[in-house]
Amino acid sequence: MAEMHKPGHKLIFIIAEHSENRAKSVVFELAACADKIKKFCPAEIKVIILSQETEKLSYEITRTTGLDTIAIEINELALYNSEIYKTVINNLAAEYLPSFIIIGHTPRGLDFASGLAVRMNAACITGVEGLSEAGGEICFMRQMFYGKINVHIAASSEPLIITVQPGTFEPYKPDNVSPGRVETRKVQCVTEAIRAKGIRRYKFQDSSIFEAKVIVSAGNGIGEMENLDLINRFADIFPGSAVGGSRILVDRGWLEYRQQIGLTGAVVAPELYIACGISGASQHLAGMKKSGFVVAINRDPKAAIFNESDICVVEDLNKFIPTFIEEYEKREME
Amino acid sequence: MKILVCIKPVPDPESLITIDDSQNWIATPNHYKMNRFDESALEEALLIRDKYKSVSIDVLSAGSENSKDVIRRALGMGADAGIHIVFDADGYISPFLTASCIAYCIKENFYDLIFAGAMSEDYMQGQVGLLSAEMAGLPCVSFVVKQEISNDKKNIYVERELDGGLIESFELKLPALFTIQGGINKPRYPSLSNMLRANKAEIKTINSDLIGKTDPKQITLRMTIPEKRREGYVLSGSVKEKAAELLRILSKKAFIN
Repeated sequence: MAEMHKPGHKLIFIIAEHSENRAKSVVFELAACADKIKKFCPAEIKVIILSQETEKLSYEITRTTGLDTIAIEINELALYNSEIYKTVINNLAAEYLPSFIIIGHTPRGLDFASGLAVRMNAACITGVEGLSEAGGEICFMRQMFYGKINVHIAASSEPLIITVQPGTFEPYKPDNVSPGRVETRKVQCVTEAIRAKGIRRYKFQDSSIFEAKVIVSAGNGIGEMENLDLINRFADIFPGSAVGGSRILVDRGWLEYRQQIGLTGAVVAPELYIACGISGASQHLAGMKKSGFVVAINRDPKAAIFNESDICVVEDLNKFIPTFIEEYEKREME
Repeated sequence: MKILVCIKPVPDPESLITIDDSQNWIATPNHYKMNRFDESALEEALLIRDKYKSVSIDVLSAGSENSKDVIRRALGMGADAGIHIVFDADGYISPFLTASCIAYCIKENFYDLIFAGAMSEDYMQGQVGLLSAEMAGLPCVSFVVKQEISNDKKNIYVERELDGGLIESFELKLPALFTIQGGINKPRYPSLSNMLRANKAEIKTINSDLIGKTDPKQITLRMTIPEKRREGYVLSGSVKEKAAELLRILSKKAFIN
């Protein structure tokens, strides 16, 4: 029988995402999210680690955050397997009865979060980018419609699973913490449903996009592939510039993966970022919001990118950029 | 082999989205299109049928009347039959409710393989496919960027995308569900002959009230316009004036020599 949490306290589970025996940075952001929930209702936090080997991970997490961990060693988990995650976390939840389970809104986290919710008969809200409290109820904010609108959602029942967008919270790394406790247990979990085969790198990043002083970035709004020419000519005006873009252009094969700005691509912070025809969904904003100065060109005055911009140009970029280049050349002649 | 592809109409990404008077939903958009992830999911199914004979593809869309348009487009692209799970009103539908309807159809029709888009472009939840799989008791893998069915059609090899350009690979026994990442293929355009057939085709309709029995598990409280996180100085004047002003600002900040 598990050690029950304090009466009147809710229990929060954080599921630790890790890679090569290191905690992913999102784990510390999830801890910050849990800490914020704790301000709204008395709660205890436990970080759950599932891995073949947990010692190093527990050490890192308990020392950095001071939070308690439950480290579950599973021999069959040499490689990530969603069936094992769902089964083991579901069993653990049945034992501990957490009110909240917090998971990263990452390809890994999303892969098992929804299925786990069905198994636990839990609610599940994904892509959370903020939380607030009203009348004793916690309300979660997430984006919809390419970031043009925020929707505020509450769960109608407990337990609740949320996936939190990386970059939403500052990592929780308090000073002078005393390390949390570690409870380690070994679990056997054999699954036939999914067999993991391996992990490898198939797309390559190079340093050019990270080193650029100025990034001129293109999105769906450029319309035709030929218009990339215009983006390249525009970028040529700025010394130390590179051309980047949003995921959709990489998916279409118009740009290379190394040029992709956003959560699944490069997270950049140039001195100047010029977003051309980019709608500004949170996946993209997370990749550029630390930029020094941001200019956005978009014909849609409601585009979400304008919320993250210092200068807003509401124009069709196919008219605006040639005019800008003309003005620039005219000035050079003078 | 029977394949099911789940598809959804979404407002055009470039269109104007505004909050309606209820403050709890959006004003009806002018124009819908098929979610681009679902287009990729359908294309992937069509590629399987191009390769193997004796494959049939059903498409399913849960929603109001505009679901019929994307079903017809899918038939135009080459799907064999369409199922429309009818929700009477426009507005937010909990992913749990949509998934319970899809799971019902999966169980009813014994599909060998189910594809859904990795997420919808409008709600961006990435949930419906994965919830449906679990409710139907099937294994699933999300964000799939490659799939290969074994010759005996009993197993499938898939690769899925992680962040930072990594992929991981899995093998599963069919039946199973996969959510398809964008960029995996280049979706075909509907052909004229298929479109003519699609316009006449009968779409099977099922009332969602009869099959979607799940607790929605969430309530949308309100919608708001995202706050500005930077100054957001809006340039004014003609195109030429705006260009000249931006040139002045960027030169002053020494971004241009």
